[in-house]
Amino acid sequence: MSAEGGVQYSKIAEIKGPLVVVDDVSSAAFDELVEIETNEGERRLGKVLEVGNGKAIVQVFEGTTGLSISGTKAKFVGKVMEMPVSKEVLGRVFDGLGRPRDGLPDPIADKFIDINGQPMNPEQREYPKDFIQTGISVIDGTMTLVRGQKLPIFSGSGMSHNLLAAQIARQATVVGTKDDFAVVFAAIGVQYSEAEYFRRSLEESGALKRSVLFLNTADDPAIERIITPRVALTVAEYLAFDLGMHVLVILTDMTNYAEALREISAAREEVPGRKGYPGYLYTDLSTIYERAGKLKGKKGSVTQVPILSMPSDDITHPIPDLTGYITEGQIVLGRDLFRQGVYPPVNILMSLSRLMKDGIGKGSTREDHAEVSNQIYDAYSRAQEVRALAGIVGKAGLTEIDLRYMDVGDAFEKDFLTQATDESRTIEETLGIMWKIVSLLPKNEITKIKDKYIDQYYTGK
Amino acid sequence: MLTSNSSLEQAIDKILEKTEKEILSDLKNSGLDSKQTLDDSLTKLEQEYDKIISDGNKEADKIEKQIIGSSELGTRNKQLTTVEESIDKVFTKALDEIANADRSGDYLDLIKSLFDESTKILGTTEIVVYTNSKDKDIVQSLLSKYPGAELSSETIDCLGGVKINSKDGTMAFDNTVDAKVERLKPLIRKEISTKFGVGN
Repeated sequence: MSAEGGVQYSKIAEIKGPLVVVDDVSSAAFDELVEIETNEGERRLGKVLEVGNGKAIVQVFEGTTGLSISGTKAKFVGKVMEMPVSKEVLGRVFDGLGRPRDGLPDPIADKFIDINGQPMNPEQREYPKDFIQTGISVIDGTMTLVRGQKLPIFSGSGMSHNLLAAQIARQATVVGTKDDFAVVFAAIGVQYSEAEYFRRSLEESGALKRSVLFLNTADDPAIERIITPRVALTVAEYLAFDLGMHVLVILTDMTNYAEALREISAAREEVPGRKGYPGYLYTDLSTIYERAGKLKGKKGSVTQVPILSMPSDDITHPIPDLTGYITEGQIVLGRDLFRQGVYPPVNILMSLSRLMKDGIGKGSTREDHAEVSNQIYDAYSRAQEVRALAGIVGKAGLTEIDLRYMDVGDAFEKDFLTQATDESRTIEETLGIMWKIVSLLPKNEITKIKDKYIDQYYTGK
Repeated sequence: MLTSNSSLEQAIDKILEKTEKEILSDLKNSGLDSKQTLDDSLTKLEQEYDKIISDGNKEADKIEKQIIGSSELGTRNKQLTTVEESIDKVFTKALDEIANADRSGDYLDLIKSLFDESTKILGTTEIVVYTNSKDKDIVQSLLSKYPGAELSSETIDCLGGVKINSKDGTMAFDNTVDAKVERLKPLIRKEISTKFGVGN
């Protein structure tokens, strides 16, 4: 930060959607922060998207409504957008651009950090392998989250992903270490009531003091949504790599982010890609998701749980599709389970945590975790087949063992999957329930667990 | 007659004996069942008791966390507000001192450096200069060094320094003391808060 200011230009050539084209610009840089001043003296923020031939294209975060070509001024500030950070940001609520929203003053900054972040040196990355307990059985038991991982939740319109996000934010913790843990929560384009729910939920559970909230509501300008995940991740990186904390970043809803990106792309008249999203959607998403990780020699970690609602529940839609290429697995919420009133309605057969194997077992969770998880997965898969068969031949046509598998399916959904929104289960409780379900099967059907663990934990007759 | 009576008695005795045995056996079984039910319910009761205690402990932990968390946050937030009020007071006093500062001595050099910086950034000396009424004479005395520069007849409301517009009106650069203070405010706030023992 310096005392030197920037030049203010008053020749506006064009205003198009969220973009302002400034003419006769002699010194502007790509991504430079711009202060737009309206006729009435109102100030808005923007950034330079393109420079050349004496013109600069500026993307205005707060939208261009009310701006006119005459009288509007653009001041090029001479620096990129920065987020003031310090430990004091914990327990604070900010808007989508990182400005206080809780009525308190700006945080006293320890540092000002470029919100675009520094790419992690791949050689310096450390492989994620430490368990994060979310207190939610289906996640901890069958698709375990590890520190430094990026594990998205694929949801659908109207499903309970926001409840799940808030529950993870309230309950998540690292076990077996005294290291500090923090949650950075970025709500992108959510309804006001949802934003209030997130804030109240963390406040009332006492989890706000270890959290930082960034709330961009649906009535905030769409373009702000481009910035929200970036300011959130900037704070997360500071907490993780400067202060040594383990940080869980929850970004909801990334579909709103991608739609803001599409809006800008359309205004810039770029050649559209699939479903009108820009061709660089993959690259752009990776600049967000790849900010998760651990670094050699640094104590902290950044773990990401981005949440996205799939339009029409279509998993092949460009947003979940491209997200899936970058992230390390996915948690898929199922419409059928949601309709049955199951919470959280996680469809485990479509879900996967690619790094789970490295974060569980002896020393992390328990030595039998991987095997009992595989057995549960296998049994639930078989139960689904049996249910389909029962739909055709009726229950009377099923064998004794088929009926046992149906019981396993029912118990899985009722006792394991279903959980109250304020119920936090330890990993031992989760494994206990998993064994209770596996024990509904006769021993000779348990093929994925070593005998010694069966002898130790099997509770069937 | 006697024979038939004795047979009847024997039959009755047999039935009585059988019924007695059955009743005794039923009683015994019922006793065992009741004992079993009692034993089972004791285990269940113990489990239920443990669950209630465990749930109670969990709930107590949760409430404890809520109370501690919100009171810690409340205290921290009050501290932030108090520090901010103090920072504002320091700022107001400092700005008052700047506004009433002596315009002789080094002040001419300060205005000259602001002038130099502004013309360099705009890339031209074909400019219109705006300043406040107190600095007008100093600025006027410097204009000869910048060919094409003019002093505006309008004065602006600022603590000191200059605001420069290109003559075609397309570019402007604010190099007033107010603008400089505003740009450095976050760093100055940090300096002040450190003096109060807050922050690093």
